[in-house]
Amino acid sequence: MSTFLWGVLPYLTLATLIGGTIWRYRYDKFGWTTRSSQLYESRLLRIGSPLFHFGILVVLIGHIGGLVVPESWTEALGVSEGLYHFNALLFGGIAGVCTLVGILILVYRRRTTGPVFMATTKNDKLMYVVLVAAIVLGLWTTLVSVGAGSEAHNYRETVSPWFRSIFLFRPDVDAMAAAPLQFHVHAIVGMLLFALWPFSRLVHAFTAPLHYLFRPYIVYRSRDRDASGSRPARSGWSAVGTTDRDRSSR
Amino acid sequence: MSERAGSVGGTPPQIDGSASAALLKAGRFFTRWDESDDGRAVFREGGRAGDVFYRDRWSHDKVVRSTHGVNCTGSCSWKVYVKDGIITWETQQTDYPSVGPDRPEYEPRGCPRGAAFSWYTYSPTRVRYPYVRGVLLEMYREAKARLGDPVLAWAEITGDPEKRRRYQRARGKGGLVRASWGEAVEIAAAAHVHTIKTYGPDRCAGFSPIPAMSMVSHCVGTRFIQLIGGVMTSFYDWYADLPVASPQVFGDQTDVPESGDWWDATYLMMWGSNVPVTRTPDAHWMAEVRYRGTKVVTVSPDYADNTKFADEWMPAQAGTDAALAMAMGHVILTENFVRRDTPFFSDYVRTYTDLPFLVRLEPADPSQGSSSATEAYAAEPGSEGSGPVVPGKFLTAADLVDNGERPPSEEAWKTVLLDEATGEPVVPNGSMGFRYAESGKGRWNLDLEGVTPALTLEGEASEAVEVLLPAFVEPDGTGSVLRRGVPARRVHGHLVTTVYDLMLAQYGVARDGLPGEWPSGYDDVSTPYTPAWQAEVTGVPAEQCIRIAREFASNSEESEGRSMIILGAGVCQWFHGDATYRAILSLLIMTGCMGRNGGGWAHYVGQEKCRPITGWISLANALDWSRPPRTMTGTSYWYMHTGQWRTDGYSADSLASPLARGHLAGKHTADTIAQSARLGWMPFYPQFGTNPLQVAEDAAAAVAEGNVPNPAAYVAQALHEGTLTTAIEDVDAPENWPRTLVLWRSNLMGSSAKGNEYFLKYLLGTHSNVMGSESPDAPRPSEVRWHDDAPEGKLDLLMSADFRMTSTTLLSDIVFPAATWYEKHDLSSTDMHPFVHAFTPAIDPPWEAKSDFEMFHLLAQRFSAMATTHLGVRKDLVSVPLMHDTPGEVAQPGGRVFDWRGSGLPGTPGVTMPVFTVVERDYTAIADKLATVGPLADTLGFTVKNVTYRLEEETARLAAKNGVMLGGAGDGRPAIDTDEKLAEAILSFSGTTNGHLAVQGFHTLEERVGKKLADLAEGAEEKRITFADTQVAPVPVITSPEWSGSETGGRRYAPFTVNIERLKPFHTLTGRMHFYLDHDWVQDLGEALPIFRPPLDMHRLFGEPRLGPDGAKQVTVRYLTPHSKWSIHSEYQDNLLMLSLSRGGPTVWMSPGDAASIDVHDNDWVECLNANGVLVGRAIVSHRMPDGVVYVHHAQERTIDVPKSEATGRRGGIHNSVTRLLVKPTHLVGGYAQLSYTFNYLGPTGNQRDMVSTVRKRSQEVTY
Repeated sequence: MSTFLWGVLPYLTLATLIGGTIWRYRYDKFGWTTRSSQLYESRLLRIGSPLFHFGILVVLIGHIGGLVVPESWTEALGVSEGLYHFNALLFGGIAGVCTLVGILILVYRRRTTGPVFMATTKNDKLMYVVLVAAIVLGLWTTLVSVGAGSEAHNYRETVSPWFRSIFLFRPDVDAMAAAPLQFHVHAIVGMLLFALWPFSRLVHAFTAPLHYLFRPYIVYRSRDRDASGSRPARSGWSAVGTTDRDRSSR
Repeated sequence: MSERAGSVGGTPPQIDGSASAALLKAGRFFTRWDESDDGRAVFREGGRAGDVFYRDRWSHDKVVRSTHGVNCTGSCSWKVYVKDGIITWETQQTDYPSVGPDRPEYEPRGCPRGAAFSWYTYSPTRVRYPYVRGVLLEMYREAKARLGDPVLAWAEITGDPEKRRRYQRARGKGGLVRASWGEAVEIAAAAHVHTIKTYGPDRCAGFSPIPAMSMVSHCVGTRFIQLIGGVMTSFYDWYADLPVASPQVFGDQTDVPESGDWWDATYLMMWGSNVPVTRTPDAHWMAEVRYRGTKVVTVSPDYADNTKFADEWMPAQAGTDAALAMAMGHVILTENFVRRDTPFFSDYVRTYTDLPFLVRLEPADPSQGSSSATEAYAAEPGSEGSGPVVPGKFLTAADLVDNGERPPSEEAWKTVLLDEATGEPVVPNGSMGFRYAESGKGRWNLDLEGVTPALTLEGEASEAVEVLLPAFVEPDGTGSVLRRGVPARRVHGHLVTTVYDLMLAQYGVARDGLPGEWPSGYDDVSTPYTPAWQAEVTGVPAEQCIRIAREFASNSEESEGRSMIILGAGVCQWFHGDATYRAILSLLIMTGCMGRNGGGWAHYVGQEKCRPITGWISLANALDWSRPPRTMTGTSYWYMHTGQWRTDGYSADSLASPLARGHLAGKHTADTIAQSARLGWMPFYPQFGTNPLQVAEDAAAAVAEGNVPNPAAYVAQALHEGTLTTAIEDVDAPENWPRTLVLWRSNLMGSSAKGNEYFLKYLLGTHSNVMGSESPDAPRPSEVRWHDDAPEGKLDLLMSADFRMTSTTLLSDIVFPAATWYEKHDLSSTDMHPFVHAFTPAIDPPWEAKSDFEMFHLLAQRFSAMATTHLGVRKDLVSVPLMHDTPGEVAQPGGRVFDWRGSGLPGTPGVTMPVFTVVERDYTAIADKLATVGPLADTLGFTVKNVTYRLEEETARLAAKNGVMLGGAGDGRPAIDTDEKLAEAILSFSGTTNGHLAVQGFHTLEERVGKKLADLAEGAEEKRITFADTQVAPVPVITSPEWSGSETGGRRYAPFTVNIERLKPFHTLTGRMHFYLDHDWVQDLGEALPIFRPPLDMHRLFGEPRLGPDGAKQVTVRYLTPHSKWSIHSEYQDNLLMLSLSRGGPTVWMSPGDAASIDVHDNDWVECLNANGVLVGRAIVSHRMPDGVVYVHHAQERTIDVPKSEATGRRGGIHNSVTRLLVKPTHLVGGYAQLSYTFNYLGPTGNQRDMVSTVRKRSQEVTY
């Protein structure tokens, strides 16, 4: 069981995430959108959206820090386990709560504003369940850690090595198996979220227009030298229209 | 980085703050780019791969000219863009011919609705395949397999009551399945063959409105129906778009100025016409003319869109417009005629109106009898002074002959006036007596030949008599009597006065020395028709009424008749809309505005002007093959055949004048329709209780035996003896039901079917929401047989062709997929502009759609093949009424009712009875005839408005151009076997599009009129507008006798300018515009003169609650169904783009006050209900609306968001579920000069404005 969950599932997730994203990019460029509902409602959105998005960015940074950076590196910098965890729990907790409050506002808005709710697909609903579950479970790991105080489980000895090992193609199944339940559940839901990612509106994260910040507002693009921008010429004898018409019988 | 221009001291402008500047700086650090001097724009090369999609989206392979056939009057030419064989979008054409310097142009024309049309081509609502009702198709296939013959199969299914009921009950409930074209056409053809064979051709009906919106499609289907002897029901009167006042006053169906002529107006009123909403492409003229200094005034009960453009708003309460008009007339008559003579006005009314004509006065006491007693009275000079009088008939030349002499018959049609100089009676030219008689040749004109008619008889020779006039000033509509006085004189022993004197009496304009009760002044609140009196009725302040009337009249005087009133459905579609119109028209006529550029009436309700009228109407009625056609007044047809007469709560008595002579006493409306048909006034089909093919055989047998001289005499005798009955006498008997109905270009059940639920119940036999019951207390007719068990499901076949699913297609047994307006050749014209232009197919009809043209040819071919075994060549006895603009209109002199039934004498066909004609029908040759121009075009020519166009040259020319057909009945005749060729034929055979015919027609008319007319078209002889011309650009038409105005020399079209400038008579009794109508029925309804009649009292007539809130759950309101901004009739209301722009789905506009009274907030679901049915919709609560009125926009269909009703548990209906038909008897008058029938010219209106409904808030949980 552990082998499947921590040795196979991560690769299935990665394959889905990468393959799905490529597929989506190739076949659904016009669907590559957040389907913004700002037109329908903006008051709650103006509060909930930044709260959630900035929160989740901090959470993302926290995860990278916690999962990618080996404990030995931070120790080498003289950061003690206690200090590291204090920081992680404090900032992670604040960011997590912001994220959670943000998403709750957004979900509330989505459910109660008629036009927004009507623009909500089944896909969105599934994604929200998984996303909220991942956030709640993440906060749960934090709460358990806070509650346990100095006895808290040091995930940097179990989860983090496993995470890094995945990308080295030598999954350290035993390390992850040693982590407590809350981390297991959080990781599974997290993988589910990444598997959903390419097929949901979450893809917008990959194309966040960060570069807009670093360029002037107005962009003038002259044509390519090879004069692309026009559709390829079609031969005049290609079939057009529908075939049904010819099927009619008198 | 370059230096920034305009910066001070080298500091770059800090627009976005330092943070963003820092970000930009970081960007520049990592990337090299060219930027603008201010640093706000960056220049890059390439990266435009994404353009391909958008470039592709907006690229096209070709642009095609077409338009929309949607009865909006727009007739806007559009560019339709096509790419890869797919219609992509449309934009406005801009190539209308210029209207000349110093005035705005017609282009661009169009509105958001038209711009949304291409959505339909590939929309989910598109009908893609032929559909047949599933249960019917199963039964048909089974029966045909067994019997081997389509006609026998159809006969079996419709002959079995159980089977018939099965598919009838399924109507409107889904279950349409795909069928092949071959099978669907076969069923339709079989139904027609069976019906003709078993019941008669006049049991086959067709309905397709508004030829002008796509003439070819209308023409081909109508031609098919007429060739088989079927009945085409009318639309202009049925839609209540026909202003009955127009035939009454002008003797013309409707003729109005083009919108470009609004620019010529110097005072412009919009009365019940919401121009920006309903005449969107033309509204700019109204806005622009204000910049010339023209004052714009609106009259509307609500704060309508056009009110925003107006300088002044007269908020007359709904349905009270005539009161305002009467009071304005009171002011004008007082100030411009009595207190001061205005020569411009008085000269005009002397020449062009009936005001100087003499009317006989009769004793008011009905016990002294009507006409016959009057003769005695008149011959007895000593009896005057014995009592008050009432106005009677026009004095005619026949009254001037000495006793014993028998004058020629036309003398009874020549009206008389007095020469002001000599005081002697004069019979001026131009009256009806000059129109047909040999003696009238060259004298049918308005030339007074030096005589100055006396407007008034005031003077030494006159005596003052008290005259009684009816008035209807009570809100419940009951009549009262006004006692007024007129100066009278005796002429040849007859006590007479002038129409002018009667008008002053009617309007209450006091003169010294006259008896009676008169208003004390403008401020007299209690006496009609003063400004203060109208203020109580309409809510418009008396001061405003007086001021506008003065401005209106002084403008007319100074501008020489350039005051214009744009009239619309808001006033036209009331039960008494004709009376209201007459009151308003009177203002224009007395101020000399009719027949002027920039003046007169501008009635725009329906796209009624088919400019190439002769070609269209003659080919549509197949007059080139057989005459006469069967045409029917839609309103009386549906009123009778949908059982609405069974629940009609009023009799003619409830409308009658207190001074009525009893011509309508005790009559149910159905009785008046039956009588009108019997007397040859109005048509009614089916004609007889017997198949007309059988009647023709019986008649032939009787003639062969020598019993009667001719078939018509046989029919007259058989009717008299009772061996033959009229169908209307037992309209509910199975042999008299309409059996087949073909609908194309129409959405009867979603748009125009007033009393929609009655249609569902009685005609179609499916479930309905009729709420009222057939009360035994309600009046019942005496001349129409009552069946206690009303038949439900009269119609065997409802067949429709449409390109989108509508309420009608959902109810149809067979639905054919039609081509859209971007998929066929056709022609368009309108009254709003003077151009003819083409529809052109941008693509071939997709899926299995076919044009109407192709469908009718397939149907005709299949029909003809089946007819060889079932019908063959037959004789058909056709009954048609006495027609306007034919000698039939001088059949019944004096407008007196002479009913052969009850007189003991047989009637005379064509005089006191309809005209009976035998027509040979080769049922095997219908397809051949449909595809060729028949020989009667050469031998008889085509006649419109009594001008016959000789067509030998034109048919030869057409044969050379279109080619001829070989073999069959149409061998060697010009081909019209494609839509393009038919379009060519329509244009070739009309004066407006063929200068040769226009000149020829004017020459013909000159012989009768005796005045020069042909110069109006001379110089245009060689001008022939071909179909190819209309495809290139909109083409202006040629001045032609088919219409009353002139475009000669690039002039803007205004109606009746030829009458005014060339002294050509109006087609009326006097040859002038009529204020006074002397027909028995009109007088008995109290409408001999312009008058105010309040809206019908539905409480009194139908037991509906009184208007206003009941203090609890419901409010009773006037239920008005005006036109919407987001649809044209039912079109576009289901269009995704228009649904997005509007609220979408059924809506009910309410005032905040009414909404509050039943606790309704904006967007709440409400139900409108009355005895006729129920409508469920969302409330739009708006300050635009006055209290006491709701607007349920016309033709919101059951296809969009119609939930189940709380009141019935069934699906809520459409706007017409809450309406019903009410027939006004005076619209049924015929056989009398301008009051004679012609298709769409005169007939009862299918009005619906008088409806009231209760509105309730309903549960906000709706289910579908």
